[in-house]
Amino acid sequence: MSLILGYVATLLVTFFTYNIFVIGLNIQFGYAGILNFTVITFMAFGAYFYAVFVMPHADNSSQIFYILGLHWPWPLAMLAGIVASGALGYLIGLIALKRLRSDYLAIVTLATGTLVYGLFGNNNKLFDGWSGLFNVNQPFQSVATNHPNQFSWIFVVFSGLIMVVVWLFANRLYASPLGRSMRAIREDQDVVDSFGKNSFKFRMMAMVIGSLIVGIGGVLTIQYIGALSPAGWTTGETFVVWAALLVGGRANNLGAILGSLLVAVVFNEATRYIPQVPSHPNLIPNLRNMIIGSLVILSIWFRPQGVFPERKASFLEVPLVDKYAQGFPGDEPDSALSPAASEA
Amino acid sequence: MTIFLLNIGFGLVTASVLSLLSVGLSLQFGVTNFVNFAYGSYLGVGMMLAYTFSETLHLPFWAAAALGTIGTGVVSLLIAEGVLEPFARRRKSLFYMLIVTFGLSLVLDNLLQILYGVAFFEYPVTQTSPVTIGPFSFTQAQLVIIAIAAVAMIAVHLLLSRTRLGKAMRAMSDNMDLARSSGIDTKSVTRWTWFLSGCLAGLGGIVLALNIVSFQTNSGETLLFVIFAAVILGGIGQTYGAMLGALVIGMVTEISTSFISSAYKQDIAFIVLVLMLLLRPQGLIPAKGKA
Repeated sequence: MSLILGYVATLLVTFFTYNIFVIGLNIQFGYAGILNFTVITFMAFGAYFYAVFVMPHADNSSQIFYILGLHWPWPLAMLAGIVASGALGYLIGLIALKRLRSDYLAIVTLATGTLVYGLFGNNNKLFDGWSGLFNVNQPFQSVATNHPNQFSWIFVVFSGLIMVVVWLFANRLYASPLGRSMRAIREDQDVVDSFGKNSFKFRMMAMVIGSLIVGIGGVLTIQYIGALSPAGWTTGETFVVWAALLVGGRANNLGAILGSLLVAVVFNEATRYIPQVPSHPNLIPNLRNMIIGSLVILSIWFRPQGVFPERKASFLEVPLVDKYAQGFPGDEPDSALSPAASEA
Repeated sequence: MTIFLLNIGFGLVTASVLSLLSVGLSLQFGVTNFVNFAYGSYLGVGMMLAYTFSETLHLPFWAAAALGTIGTGVVSLLIAEGVLEPFARRRKSLFYMLIVTFGLSLVLDNLLQILYGVAFFEYPVTQTSPVTIGPFSFTQAQLVIIAIAAVAMIAVHLLLSRTRLGKAMRAMSDNMDLARSSGIDTKSVTRWTWFLSGCLAGLGGIVLALNIVSFQTNSGETLLFVIFAAVILGGIGQTYGAMLGALVIGMVTEISTSFISSAYKQDIAFIVLVLMLLLRPQGLIPAKGKA
């Protein structure tokens, strides 16, 4: 029984943290149209920086090296991890958000991801290289001493509360004037510019807020597991977040919940129980990645708005439809960014 | 000083590999107007096809390499016809095209790993001792790589400047609607572009594998953003710019190894990319309406 309870707790924490990742990406992509192809690097930044702030100074005799080792109390270290992730988002934004097409931003995020992965992996003085950090100080250790499940369930409540706060914040942001500006930029940046809004500033805010939120998820991940190595944040993991967002429905946080439940929890966990093929130890993970990649492609083909489409604001309008009107080149009625139009 | 000159030689080799790859990416971008994030996987397809042809069919290596090159072109054409072009017709949003190619790279990479595993492979070419030419020193394979790249670049130049197809590609790159209304068969030109882009990616992958000698299915994957760096440096969608970008990136990354550890080669490419995006995002040879 206690085994099942522990397992359920782990599933719930996975669900909550992935939900936070997906909401972070949703603010970047769903709200502001920023293509972040390396979501998982922000998770790693949050997690690693939490770890080096909370852990004691590296003991060089053990052949484990990492920077800092400040031994801060965990709430402060948590803040440091989140800020580190946001700072990375700010840097990427500075390079690529100004006056550039969205391809460039996607390229820069992908390049940053590849680079950070190689840098953290090959350089064992930074975060202990490929073996990664372990024995990371976990919170609530003083109260949860009796049974391992006690820590798990305290953490379920803790991460659940944080998820709810993030969720409420994201919904509030969506409806706020700031969120409206972000969505307007996503639809047509030129229009927003011509209204005198500083679209760079709004896009940068979306980038940083999203990165901070993904950083929160990263900190929670390493707090729960107590360890992280580069093998835990490969490109495939970024796809899990993307697939969850696209399946659930972009720009709708209800979709984020459904997507992370379906993709990150149900699908990822179910494939864990497929027996390994002894001659091909990588077969199952490879197949899983292939399916996740196909899921991304298929969901864009069949239902780009996701299971829960974005609720467009409805205004009292005189139904003026000019069927002879000519559209601009490149926009079509069922254009993916205005799913409501296809139903009309 | 000798090491410095040696590295210039290696820079030439890297630039040769990169020139094939960046010209292939740039040609395709110019015509279809979206970045193909699965391009890095095409390198792996080329490498493994050439390996399979030479190992299972026992063909001489040059024939296997030629078949691998054409095979990658065919794979690229099939992917474009089966997946990317239908998407481009159905959903014109740039966002979705980028995500689809990104998803495609995950599918292709993992498919290659299922088929070939994570082992290291080598082509059946005999390793010769380096030849010294002036201050430079090359292996025979590296000389062949430089020759292949030079021939390919001249061929691309002739294609773009002398043939109907090349002129149509340039016209479509400049203005798609004008090209279509001038009677250019844009569909067939797009098909040819995907095929050629795939061929160049496959050939680039094969020469990359020749250069690094022992390779895995995903050896080309990390090169993707170095290719992007070369393409952006030259001006995205500009074929001659891509050649120039490849030369600069190849030289800079290899020469940097005279001063810092060669483990940071890619970081140098990234720094060049960042500087370029900050100072001159339109590229050395800007293309109208692309940046």
